[in-house]
Amino acid sequence: MIVIDKLAYSSKFRYKSPGLKASFAVGSLLICVGAQSFAVSFITLAVMAFLTVFSSRISVAGYLKLMCIPFGFMILSTIAVVVNITNQPMDLFSVAIGGKYLAVSHSSLMEGIRLVAVALASVSCLYFLTLSTAMLDLLSVLRALRCPKIMVELMMLIYRYIFVILDMASAITTSQNCRLGNKDFITELRSLGQMLAVLLIRSLKKSSLLFDSMESRCYDGEIRVLNEAYPADKIESAVVAGFLILMMGIAVFL
Amino acid sequence: MLNKELDGMKNIILKLENVCYTYEDGTEALKGIDLQVERGEKLAIMGANGSGKSTLFLTLNGINKPTSGRILYNQIPVDYSRKGLLALRKKIGIVFQDPDNQLFSASVTQEISFGALNLGLPHEEARERVEKIIEELNISAFRDRPTHFLSGGQKKRVSIADILVMDPEIIIFDEPAAALDPKHARMIDEIIDQLSEKGITVILSTHDVNRALIWADRVALIDEGVIISEGTPDEIFTNDEVLAQTNLEKPTVLRIFESLCQSGVLDRSLSIPHTARELEQYINEVTK
Repeated sequence: MIVIDKLAYSSKFRYKSPGLKASFAVGSLLICVGAQSFAVSFITLAVMAFLTVFSSRISVAGYLKLMCIPFGFMILSTIAVVVNITNQPMDLFSVAIGGKYLAVSHSSLMEGIRLVAVALASVSCLYFLTLSTAMLDLLSVLRALRCPKIMVELMMLIYRYIFVILDMASAITTSQNCRLGNKDFITELRSLGQMLAVLLIRSLKKSSLLFDSMESRCYDGEIRVLNEAYPADKIESAVVAGFLILMMGIAVFL
Repeated sequence: MLNKELDGMKNIILKLENVCYTYEDGTEALKGIDLQVERGEKLAIMGANGSGKSTLFLTLNGINKPTSGRILYNQIPVDYSRKGLLALRKKIGIVFQDPDNQLFSASVTQEISFGALNLGLPHEEARERVEKIIEELNISAFRDRPTHFLSGGQKKRVSIADILVMDPEIIIFDEPAAALDPKHARMIDEIIDQLSEKGITVILSTHDVNRALIWADRVALIDEGVIISEGTPDEIFTNDEVLAQTNLEKPTVLRIFESLCQSGVLDRSLSIPHTARELEQYINEVTK
């Protein structure tokens, strides 16, 4: 997660309009899921993979590794679609178990592959967005979409404090390990428990200190901040619109 | 009424009268603080950890409401209504010791703009102020970095910008040099000096006696929730009794100066040196 965060900040597309990037990624995703077509999925996957590897500092191997994370889940869930339990043997292959057959047909196999293609393409859209857009910019998109304020404010605070709390956690763990808190499995578990307990207490303390400091700056229940604006480039917007229309065309006519 | 006029004449911006504060758990953190702060002065508050410095600071801008006693800001008792508190906090800003307890946003611009927008400024004006502060505190180089990738010194500068953008009359620093390397500590010292030059009243807590001797117009020693002594650095740091009571060392320059006076090398009638350089000059003059 931290790696993805770092990559997003160093992306070549970081200062492109977050609204445009979000429309591109989410638009492509919706078309992919809606079309359920091989052609659309492959084109989307190829375009997103190329743009992501081109724009961010991630290597091809690194990108493939990222794609492998959801791939495992996809295979597991696709098995349920591909393999049927039937009374009759099916055309591709069948295994008899008792009176029933564990069978795979040509059509169910194709269905499964298509599902994987759609899913992978969708994931590539989201990876494009997360690897090119900092969390803060995504929040400004949510704000522009008139998401409930309380939700955006919470996301903003949670995002910031993930890093503060991770730092605390790693400092506590290091200090435990310096005192052999990880000498065997049982001790390590005990250390983990103690670390989490301390972390909770410190987080609560920190939240009250943060509240004091915000109050000191005239906080009145609503977090008002200025956002860095990265306006959308006209040519880029046209390219994105063209791509989305092209994909819709392919989805409809192929 | 007479008091009020006197305070006005001496330009007392902040006055504490027998201020006590007890936490909900019964801990008496402040036990009758009497303190006056003049407009534009540099006041150092010194005392051991847990002596009540941080509690005192939170009391000064109304985060903690005194259990008894009162605080006067510009000769007017603090109004603890929501509106009164907002008005007070516009004028008195606190830079907290640990920036991680202050920076709530991952974005530097968002972070600094928070206070400006809370003043009710229109967006354009708030943006102008934010840009000006970013320029003044040399934040431009890392303004696009998320706060969790900033170094301690950079975070500190952002946390100062947070407060400066609100254009307060008094700025309180809770141990500004804590956990900073010498280079960044110096940078923060320079920023604080610039504030004083602009006429902003600065109150800070520190454990660094050498720094306090050079910097402060006045030093107040706090121990167990009471101000046990206050005065110019010369008065405080030559008073061995109160120093011992608060476990403070005598500044190095003073110790050497006194020792040289005792052995007859330097003349006792010389004015007290504040920096190593001043002491050096005295010695050079004698040995010439």
